[in-house]
Parts: sequence; structure tokens; C-alpha cells
Amino acid sequence: MGIKQLSIFVANEKGTLADVTRIFREHEIDIRAISVYDTVDYGILRTVVSEPEKAVEALAKEGIVSKLSDILTINPEDKRGSLNDIFTLLGDNDINIDYIYSFLVREDGSQLFVLKVNDKEKAQELLEKNGVEIIREL
Amino acid sequence: MIWNEPKECMSRDERKADQSKKLIDVVKNVYHNVPFYRKKMQETGLEPGDVKNIEDIEKLPFTTKNDLRENYPFGLFAVPKSEIVRVHASSGTTGKSIVVGYSRKDIDMFSEVVARAYCCTGVTKEDIVQIAYGYGLFTGGLGMHYGAEKLGATVIPVSGGNTSKQLDLLQDFGSTVLACTPSYAAYLSEAIDEAKIDKKDLKLRIGIFGAEPWSNEMRSKIEAGLNITAYDIYGLSEIIGPGVSCSCEMQDGLHIAEDHFYPEILNTETLKAENPGTIGELVFTTITKEAMPLLRYRTRDLASLNYDACKCGRTNVRMSKIQGRSDDMLIIRGVNVFPSQVESALLEIEEAKPHYMLVVDRVGTMDTLEIQVEIDDRYFSDEMVELNKVRQKIKRKVESILGISVIINLVEHKTIARSEGKAQRVIDKRKI
Repeated sequence: MGIKQLSIFVANEKGTLADVTRIFREHEIDIRAISVYDTVDYGILRTVVSEPEKAVEALAKEGIVSKLSDILTINPEDKRGSLNDIFTLLGDNDINIDYIYSFLVREDGSQLFVLKVNDKEKAQELLEKNGVEIIREL
Repeated sequence: MIWNEPKECMSRDERKADQSKKLIDVVKNVYHNVPFYRKKMQETGLEPGDVKNIEDIEKLPFTTKNDLRENYPFGLFAVPKSEIVRVHASSGTTGKSIVVGYSRKDIDMFSEVVARAYCCTGVTKEDIVQIAYGYGLFTGGLGMHYGAEKLGATVIPVSGGNTSKQLDLLQDFGSTVLACTPSYAAYLSEAIDEAKIDKKDLKLRIGIFGAEPWSNEMRSKIEAGLNITAYDIYGLSEIIGPGVSCSCEMQDGLHIAEDHFYPEILNTETLKAENPGTIGELVFTTITKEAMPLLRYRTRDLASLNYDACKCGRTNVRMSKIQGRSDDMLIIRGVNVFPSQVESALLEIEEAKPHYMLVVDRVGTMDTLEIQVEIDDRYFSDEMVELNKVRQKIKRKVESILGISVIINLVEHKTIARSEGKAQRVIDKRKI
């Protein structure tokens, strides 16, 4: 399975992030990671939350369009050059990264990275073989 | 100067007699040669002989844009096709455009009324006329072209767009007259400033602008920007094209070539004649056209009429500037746009829901059309690339139908208000 990312279409307007997070709060959904891609008029809010399916339902009830997608969550070694190694490895194997963002896990202080790639299975196998820790559950 | 004094300055009595005679002829003509009109007249038991003078026009049936669509392409022609020397068409609506045909005599008349319009604004054969209306199916370019040639002026048929070329020609050829849409004139004025061209080096003195509504404020702005006097020309391809009417140096209404186009102003609800000076729907009957005469064509443009003789010497009736529309048609950069066209375009795209809003605005001097389309979970993607693909697909489809560039914006689900009655589909932020 692995971790699901929740993507939400948001207008580039005052209060839209407050609306979305209010819905999470009311349904007791915790946000683990958050990132916003914006254009002039609208954006895509990408989040990793505690109960993604429940979140989609709660958002839909309020007329907010969202979508779950498979992402790759990794915990690279905390040393210089580790990300460079990972990107080189993926690039050499023709795996494209659509986007990437990172977040901290408070409990152990580790920094995780969310990757959207064009071939998740292949990327996962490749990274694991090369000793990169894959996070399947938060 | 007055181009055709006998026709433009006759007394109201002479006018009435002339129009009555011509109306009788045109009614006979369409009754015998256009099945559409014969059927319409027979339905109400009207015979050509029942029309004895211009006042009897009230008995005649109306013609609408939809009638033209239903008789696409040549169904309303009153002459054999061999007599048609030119065809124009309006920008495509949902699939079908509106087609108009001209006989040689019609083209002569078209040139005549446009020559009168030029003359009305003070253009002479000494002038160099830069025609920046589109040439082609649109009547603007060729209509203004033939009229200027008839007048004997020098014509620069540059057509619309290509602003840097327009600026070169204004400077190098010393154009003295500019004919285009008012929004393009305003745009050119800005381009001249941006290019740091000294307006003193330009010879431009007169602007003849039409094909879209514009305010007196905009006129003042263009006049100051281009250092010219600007005039308003009105027309529509269904009637002839530009030259149906034009303002004169008095700037107090547009003189209608009423020896060819008989105007009525009707109450938009009752469709009964309004008193002179009262605003209503402008309706035209072409009383001399051969190829495609139209009886009481409903323009949907709102205006009023003034029958007083003008200080310029002309006695023909003047119409006010267009005050608006009696339907939801928008005129954007000279192109007619119906919200329903956008809707049918969107319905052909599986990703687009029929929840849309048109926002018309004037950014700087150019009209913009933004179409807001509600995002739908069926095609929402968390990748911007995919969302942009959807946007591009909608954009291409809508642009191919409307013929003007549009801005497509995706908006959140249910952003656009649902309405129980007639949906509010258009926000027009322009100040006309």
C-alpha cells in the first residue's frame, strides 16, 4: 500500500487554506505534511494526513474537489550528497520526478521526502536495493 | 462636405414618398422571390398590395438572427446565384454562421453609403486611409475599403492586427485617416506611446471607429491619445455592413442612410413603435437591397431616433450611440459572442461541466474574455501539467468557435452560483 497523498484544488483566494484545515480539524484529521503549488489563479494543495479516505469524504461534503494519489515517501540518510545520489540513481534509470517536498517527523526528528514519480514501483525497488529507507506507514 | 446632397438632404415629405415607393417594391420582391417571406406574409393573410406607404411597415413580419441561421446559407437570397457577386459571413456561432449576399448593385450601394460616411467625417480624396478592420468574411475591412475607393481617397488595406506594421505605415505613408474598432484604436494609441513615436510626426487627423459599442469617455481618450477627431460608424452585416449610419462633425448622433435602410425604434416588450427620442430596439428594413432584402430585421441594439434636421445640413434621421443590447450578446473586440456559444462548446468537452461564467473586462484598452470553468473531480489531477492540458483543451475549443482569444480559468467546485431561474452567466466589468 504505502502512504497516500491528498491533493486538493484550491482557488488562490483569501481564506481557502483556512477552510480546508477547518474541515480537517472538525473531523479530527491530522496534517503530517503540507505543500502548495500555486499559479496566479489557483493552486494545488498537497498534503499527507492521518486518515486520507475520511478526508476526501469530508471535503466532498463541502464541495471541495480532492484526489488521493500514490506517492513515494523516503527517509534518506542524513549525510551530505545523499539526495544527489538518489536523484542521480533515478535519473540514470529514466525515472522522472514530477514534484518533491519534505517534512519533519517530530517523534524522531527524521526528515522525510515525498516524491511523485512516473513509475513508483520501479523507483521503490531501485531505491530499496540501494539502501534507501522507504516509509510505508506514518 | 456632403457626398450626395439630394439623397442626404431631402425634406421629410420627400423622404416619406421615396421610402414608401421603395417599401412597396421590396415587399413585392420578397413576396415573389423569397419563400421564407411569402410564407410569413401568407400566415398573417398579408398581400403585397396591402402595403401602400411607409406607415404600413407595421404590418410586416419581423426577421431575426435565428431566421438567418435557419436559412443558412443562401435561403434568403432574392436573386439567382449568378447575380451574387460577393458573400460575407459573420463569425461562426455554434457551427453555423450568418451569410449575407450582395449583387453588383448592392456592392455599389454599399460603397456609396460608406463614401457618404467618410464624407460625413470630413475625409476627402486627398486623404490616406489606413484600414485596420479585418479583411475577409467580416464586412468591416472590405466595406470601408470600397467606400474609400469610391470617395477617391488613397487606401492602405493593412487589415487588423500586426501593430508594429501599423505603426510603420502610420509614420512612413503618412496616413491621415484610421478606420478600425475603437478598442484597437486605443491600443494603437498606447503602442505609439510605448514606441516613443512623437505624435507631432504623424499626419493622422481623423478616426472612424465602429463594430463595437464605445462611450464618449473612450472617444475623448482616443482623440487625445492619437491627436485626432474620432467618429462613430455603425453597421451590421445583415443590413449591409459598416455605413448604415455615421456621426458627423456635430457629433450629435449618427446619420442613417435612410434612403436605403429604413429604421424603426420599437419597445422591447410590446414591439410597438416608440416616440422619437425614446430608447428601444433598433429595427431595419432594407428598402433597396437586391440580393438579400430583409424586412424589419431586429438588430437587438438599443438606441433612439432624432428626426430633426442636423446643423451639418443633412436632414436624414439620426440614431443615438448604441446604448446596449436587448439580448445577452456581447461584443468583444468587434466580435459577437453569445454565452450560449460558450456553453455548447463546453458541453462538447467531457472534462468541462456546464458550470461556467463569462467575465468581460477591459484591461488597459483591450477587451478580455475570461471563462471560468468549475473544476470537477473527474478530471482534477494533482499535477499542474495535467490541469493545464485541460485548460488548453477548453481554450482551443472555445477559441475555434468564438474566433477570439480567451482566458480559461479553473475555479473551485460550486464557486459559480447556481441559480433557480435564469442563470447569471456573464459579468461585464467594462464601462461603456
